[in-house]
Amino acid sequence: MAFRLTGLKVSPNSATLEEARARVFDFFKAACRSIPSIMEIYNLHDVVTESQLRSSVASEIRKHAQVSNPKVIDLLLFKGMEELGNITEHAKQRHHIIGQYVVGGQGLVQDLSAKDQGNSDFLKKFYNSNYF
Amino acid sequence: MGLGLLPSRFSRIPANRLFLRSIVSNSHRQSPEAAAAAVPPPEPTPDLPPRTPVAGARVHFPNPDDAIEVFVDGYPVKIPKGFTVFQACEVAGVDIPRFCYHSRLSIAGNCRMCLVEVEKSPKPVASCAMPALPGMKIKTDTPLAKKAREGVMEFLLMNHPLDCPICDQGGECDLQDQSMAFGSDRGRFTEVKRSVVDKNLGPLVKTVMTRCIQCTRCVRFATEIAGVQDLGMLGRGSGEEIGTYVEKLMTSELSGNVIDICPVGALTSKPFAFKARNWELKGTESIDVTDAVGSNIRIDSRGPEVMRIIPRLNEDINEEWISDKTRFCYDGLKRQRLNDPMIRGSDGRFKAVSWHDALTVVAEIVHEVKPEEIVGIAGRLSDAESMIALKDFLNRMGSNNVWCEGNGPNPNADLRSGYIMNTGISSLEKADVFLLVGTQPRVEAAMVNARIRKTVRASNAKVGYVGPPADFNYDYEHLGTGPQTLLEIVEGRHPFFSTISNAKNPVIIVGAGLFEREDKDAVFSVVEAIAKKGNVVRPDWNGFNVLLHNAAQAAALDLGLVPESNQSIVTAKFVYLMGADDADLDKIPKDAFVVYQGHHGDRGVYRANVILPASAFSEKEGTYENTEGCTQQTLPAVPTVGDARDDWKIIRALSEVAGVRLPYDNFGAIRSRIRTVAPNLSSLDEREPATFGFSVKPESNQKMSSTPFKAAVENFYMTDSITRASKIMAQCSAQLLKK
Repeated sequence: MAFRLTGLKVSPNSATLEEARARVFDFFKAACRSIPSIMEIYNLHDVVTESQLRSSVASEIRKHAQVSNPKVIDLLLFKGMEELGNITEHAKQRHHIIGQYVVGGQGLVQDLSAKDQGNSDFLKKFYNSNYF
Repeated sequence: MGLGLLPSRFSRIPANRLFLRSIVSNSHRQSPEAAAAAVPPPEPTPDLPPRTPVAGARVHFPNPDDAIEVFVDGYPVKIPKGFTVFQACEVAGVDIPRFCYHSRLSIAGNCRMCLVEVEKSPKPVASCAMPALPGMKIKTDTPLAKKAREGVMEFLLMNHPLDCPICDQGGECDLQDQSMAFGSDRGRFTEVKRSVVDKNLGPLVKTVMTRCIQCTRCVRFATEIAGVQDLGMLGRGSGEEIGTYVEKLMTSELSGNVIDICPVGALTSKPFAFKARNWELKGTESIDVTDAVGSNIRIDSRGPEVMRIIPRLNEDINEEWISDKTRFCYDGLKRQRLNDPMIRGSDGRFKAVSWHDALTVVAEIVHEVKPEEIVGIAGRLSDAESMIALKDFLNRMGSNNVWCEGNGPNPNADLRSGYIMNTGISSLEKADVFLLVGTQPRVEAAMVNARIRKTVRASNAKVGYVGPPADFNYDYEHLGTGPQTLLEIVEGRHPFFSTISNAKNPVIIVGAGLFEREDKDAVFSVVEAIAKKGNVVRPDWNGFNVLLHNAAQAAALDLGLVPESNQSIVTAKFVYLMGADDADLDKIPKDAFVVYQGHHGDRGVYRANVILPASAFSEKEGTYENTEGCTQQTLPAVPTVGDARDDWKIIRALSEVAGVRLPYDNFGAIRSRIRTVAPNLSSLDEREPATFGFSVKPESNQKMSSTPFKAAVENFYMTDSITRASKIMAQCSAQLLKK
């Protein structure tokens, strides 16, 4: 496997929160280092910049900012490593990367017209559904 | 009797365990012989701790001297004189099995399921029909009583078909439950079962008469509560059967209640037949909105569908009955629903659009008209939240022409005593004379009518009626048809005036149909004069009542939904119909822009330019005030249909698009807005009486016309958009209405 990252392996459980935290940073660095090759593999140069992808990875990590259990962090790290491995191994296709990390969770249809910018939170939710 | 644990004994089991735990210690457990020697023999005193009465029943002693003491399973209870053995057992917390006994019906004593043993009595006695005597020692749990029950069960099951798997009562059947608890574990029956021809009782009640156990609850309900002599017992012995004497439908507005009181599957709901099992259903405790009584109901739903509606106990409002309209209107919730915002195109056809586009169009047009040309009408099913939102929105647009349909062109919202039922529904039972002015309670508020009938039956109260010829199910005196009769009464020329003035607790009930009359103020001042002269309103008794028709009316008047001018609809350019289908839609000018916000494609939709789909009462949380001033709320039982939204949310969103944003974003905020306008609407499930009587009302100098009163409700079964969409209600109006 030509693209296999070195140093990506399942490690023993983190003993403390500090250790888990350090591992998260290691993982983020590993992900950042692989971003240029990901851009290359999936031909992403015309849709996204490297810094956008970096902040996308960072936001995925920050989604779990409130987690303080080292075991849970280890599990999430494992899932992140698996995902990163899959991406660098070209186990995914281009639209997966674009859908998940470039467009993000907001979907492809985004009403960015100027008239709705000033809407209140209530109105935005109202247009979306009756239940909020 | 392997399954012979009495349900009532479940309450005793923890107590026994406690008892055991207190005497069994570890050392005893290791050496049982020593324990037997050490523990003193159990005292002969009752092994029962004081028990709570069945279903929290409270005993009312009309005369404390008449209290007698009886012993139920050795436990002494004090009961008033005149109680039956059955009631004494209930007070003692013992639930006696029963089929024919029902606390709101007369005693028949024919099922024999409630047999108990009474000391010094040679045979077991039917406890429901036996008066309790002082010092009686009642035993509910002896081998004799158990054997008697088992025997009765065997006789009942002898002719009862074994069709529980295809019976709609399965799962909530008294016979099923009690045969599990008290019945024998084997049958000795080999002969052919009796079969009975099914009766046709109309579109609501399905009958499988072979399942009937002749408890006669339905017969007693029909004659006593519903007041129709349709059902009866025919034949004798094994040929005995329940039926209408001649081929006839059961024409009562309360007929659906026989489904609830039938202990077996003989009378079941026809629309609900084979639709669901009761354990699949999710119950939501809610409020009925088809009339102004606000009957307490439970909406049983499965997934997104309302499967049935059944009553909930509320002694102050509907006791345990509901009207047929309440019970069977639910299929209207599945038909004719509006599910997408729509705009009428130039070709006159509606086109579905997004909420964004619909609200933008409405907001643009509302700014193009002059403020005084904006009119808002709340419908008869509107909740308080949406009405205050509508009023606030129109006020911010500069208009104050907002009202609720049914309240008439010139409503009196100043004096609360002038539009609610001041006596209260349950206090009607204390009355001894009724004067009904222009109201037909049987069709306007069936539960209030049931209460009046109960009073008339119990205390022979006199009923006088002024209005068009109407159908009553109790004795009444038809005094006249129009305001002329009221004048005769107030001047003392009519004999009924002395009846009122001699009465202890007279009650006057004025129908809300009078709100639509031009000479409303004059009629009301005459009625108030009668009340004053007849001493109807005293510090200890307020007998002046207005009987409203619609669920929204009382809350609308509390919130001050009063139009600024009563001709505003004729000059309107922008009309906001919030579920209003019965307003004078013909009076709206041709060039006016009409927005219809509602849940059913009913009359209002034909005239509408824009449709905003809203949720029905079964799908939203909403506050309603009933005719006696009791605030209650509905809870969502099922999700909304399609892209519909809650009423107040639509108006809140529209206000923002129109640039006059209303300051409430959630339900709590809009409730606190209501609290500042009408504090009584924030105390749920409480009746808030009016503070001032009509004595502070200024004199009216209106001229009274001699036009006779009109009937307010033409068709009991179809009064609002939900019931008009209902197929069952259509069948009822075709078959049951007297032509």
